[in-house]
Amino acid sequence: MPSAQDIKQRIEAAIEGAHADVEDYTGGGDHFRASVTAPAFAGLTRIQQHRLVYAVFGTEIGGAIHALALKTDAPSQIPTN
Amino acid sequence: MPSSPSEPLPMSSTQPAPAPAPNADGNPIRDAIAEAIKEHKVILFMKGTPDAPACGFSARTVAALQSLDAPFAAVDVLPDPRIRQELSALSDWPTIPQLFVDGELIGGCDIVIEMFESGELAQALL
Repeated sequence: MPSAQDIKQRIEAAIEGAHADVEDYTGGGDHFRASVTAPAFAGLTRIQQHRLVYAVFGTEIGGAIHALALKTDAPSQIPTN
Repeated sequence: MPSSPSEPLPMSSTQPAPAPAPNADGNPIRDAIAEAIKEHKVILFMKGTPDAPACGFSARTVAALQSLDAPFAAVDVLPDPRIRQELSALSDWPTIPQLFVDGELIGGCDIVIEMFESGELAQALL
C-alpha cells in the first residue's frame, strides 16, 4: 500500500522539476490529494496536466489507488501574494 | 459476427434522449458512449445518479452543475463495469466522474470544482 511519501517521490521522479505535496486524506493508503507544480505543465490545459500525473500511476489509479485528487500548476501560475 | 442491438446506457437526463444509435460493428458500448457524448451538450459520467450519487466526487460534481442550473445528461457507470472501461479508453482519463461539454472532456471532479469556483464552468456551459 503506497504512502503519501511514495506518491510524492514517484511524481517528482517521473516529472522533471516537479514539486508535489501529497496528503493521504483518509489515512487508509488509497485516497490521496496531491498538489503538483512542474515547469512541464506550462502551456498545457488542466486536462493535459492531470493526464501527465495520472500517467505516472497507470492502472493503479482506480485500482490500488482509489482516488488521487489533483491540483496542478505551472510554477508561473502560482499567485505571489 | 452476430449483431445484437446495443443496450441503452443507464442514463438519466434533463434533456430529451437521443434516438438509439445504429449498431456499428465491434464495440457497441463504446459506440453508445461516443454517441451519447455527441448528442448531449453537457453529459456527466458518474457513479450513481444525480439524485443518488454513489461517490463523493460524483456528488460534488453534480452539485456544481446543479448550482449553475445547467441542464445535463448523466450516465451511471456502476451497472456495468464495461461502461467505465470503454469510457476511460475513449477519453484517456482514468477516474470517474467525467464531464463532457460540446463533445470535449472538461475534467473530473477536481477540475470541474476548480472551474466552478473561478467562474470558468459557468462560461463553458453557456
